[in-house]
Amino acid sequence: MALKSDMKILVIDDMATMRKIIKNMLQQIGFKNITEADDGATAWPMIQEALDSPEPYEFIVSDWNMPQMSGLDLLKKVRETEALKKLPFLMITAEAEQGNVVIAVKAGVSNFIVKPFSAAVLKEKIEKIF
Amino acid sequence: MSLLNDPSMKEVVDEFCDESLQLFNELEEILEEFEDDPTQTEKLEQFGQIIDRVMGSAKTIGADEIATFCELGKAIGYKSSQVNDRALLEVVCAIMFDSLELLKKMILQIKEGNSSSFEETSSTAFVTRLKWLKEKFNDIERASCAADPDANLSQTSIDDLMSSLGL
Repeated sequence: MALKSDMKILVIDDMATMRKIIKNMLQQIGFKNITEADDGATAWPMIQEALDSPEPYEFIVSDWNMPQMSGLDLLKKVRETEALKKLPFLMITAEAEQGNVVIAVKAGVSNFIVKPFSAAVLKEKIEKIF
Repeated sequence: MSLLNDPSMKEVVDEFCDESLQLFNELEEILEEFEDDPTQTEKLEQFGQIIDRVMGSAKTIGADEIATFCELGKAIGYKSSQVNDRALLEVVCAIMFDSLELLKKMILQIKEGNSSSFEETSSTAFVTRLKWLKEKFNDIERASCAADPDANLSQTSIDDLMSSLGL
C-alpha cells in the first residue's frame, strides 16, 4: 500500500529532543502532516478530539516511558475505543524488554522500534504496518 | 555519523543538552529528598524513571557514554528501590549524586563541542564503579518500569505473538 504524504500523524514523547528527531525522520520519509504531544495524557484528548473532526489521526508514534501516561496506557485507551481499534500505533522504547514487548503486543501495538534508530528503520517499520 | 557530530543537527543536540540538564537537576532534588528520608525508596524508582528518559535521547543522538551512565543509573535506581538495606542505599545515593555531577560535565562538554574529551571526566573508571554497584542488586529482577511483572507467558506464546507482528 502506498503511503500518503498527508497522512495525519501524532508523535508523542516527553523529550522535546526525541519529538524533533522523530519529526525530522518522518519528514525525510516524506510525511508532511505531523503533530506533536509531550505525554500520553496530553495526546489522549487530542486523539479523541480529532476523532470527532473530519481529520482523525491516521497513525500514532509513541514513546513508552512518559511521566503522566505511558505509551502502553495510551495504547490501551486507544484500543478500548471502538473507532480506534485499528488505528496504527508504533511504540518506541529505549529497551525492548521481552516481557514489556509481549504486553504491548497483547495490548494491540502495531510495531516496535528500539532506540537508537534511523529514518530507514522507521520507514521499514511504517511500511510493515501499512 | 551520529547526530552528535552532524552540524545540521546542532539545534537538536543543544535542545538535548538543555533538557538533560533540567532533568539532572530534578534528579538531584529527588536524591536530596531521599537523603532526607531514606525510607522513601520510591524516590529511587522515580530516579530510574527520569534517567531512563535521558537514556533514550542520548542513545538516539549518539551520546553513548551518557547513555551508558543513564542505563546503569536506571537499573540501579529501579533495583535499589526494592531493597531496605540502609547502608547500601546510602552508597547508592552518594554514587548517584557523583554520577549526576559527571553527567552534567559531559553534557557541558557536548554543548562546547568537545564531546571527545569525556576521558578527562574519568567516565570509564566511573562506569566500572556503577557496574560494581549494579551487581549488588543481581538478585533483583525488575530493572525498569515493568508494565505487569506478574504476567508470565510461555516462550511459545511469546514467539507466536512476536512473529505474528513480524518482530
